[in-house]
Amino acid sequence: MPDPISRCTSCGIPLSREHDVMFICPNCNNVQLGRCGNCRNQSAIYICPGCGFEGP
Amino acid sequence: MTEEQKASELLIDEDTYLTSGVHIGTQQKSADMKKFIFKVRSDGLYVLDIKKTDERLRTAAQMISRFKPEEVLVVSARQYGQRPVRQFSNLIGCHSFPGRFVPGTLTNPALDVYIEPKILIVTDPAADQQALKEAINSRIPIIGLCDANNETKYVDLAIPVNNKGRRSLAVAYWLLAREVLKLRGDITGDDDFKAEIKDFEATL
Repeated sequence: MPDPISRCTSCGIPLSREHDVMFICPNCNNVQLGRCGNCRNQSAIYICPGCGFEGP
Repeated sequence: MTEEQKASELLIDEDTYLTSGVHIGTQQKSADMKKFIFKVRSDGLYVLDIKKTDERLRTAAQMISRFKPEEVLVVSARQYGQRPVRQFSNLIGCHSFPGRFVPGTLTNPALDVYIEPKILIVTDPAADQQALKEAINSRIPIIGLCDANNETKYVDLAIPVNNKGRRSLAVAYWLLAREVLKLRGDITGDDDFKAEIKDFEATL
């Protein structure tokens, strides 16, 4: 199980607020990704640092 | 790479994708879905890229297969999505909510229908707003079947697909079910999967 991430993968702010989410990269299953509520609301692109998968 | 090799990479043959209208988008496009659009037809209809749909279906299946069946929730407020969702949940063994999503299902423990899934699949992020809202509050990842006009707000993994078509939704959920079962090891290959696309199609 990958280590829990504490920062948003897109913008880098600490994950501590409502509407944040953490999940394992859907593509490589190795890296835990975090998305803050703001980036999710704006559909900000996240890139997996492990495999380069680009979401959403 | 030849056309035959490219076609063999797809989950099903290209003709099935095309005849079921998986690639047919809408006459409006959203900025979020721009990257999944292949071209615009002369009648103004945006056409989705089948290769990207195929890739995303595989990725979504991988993501779903990592969760236990009881941790997955699939919803569809859309009429044409209700049978596919029911069939999908029967095969996968996950929770499903075809039709009206009872408010509080994910947030109110006092309700009989209360469940705590770890992942949500929505058939249309615009139509399944109640489920989306509750998943956001519960901080669970969301997979969304998104058409050319959908926004991917709060969607963590978008699958570009025609989410308005009867046959298109059947194909999308049929493929998802097959791939999830394959990845879990419940079936060994495509031939082991006995369900047919027509079993997933909503009746007229």
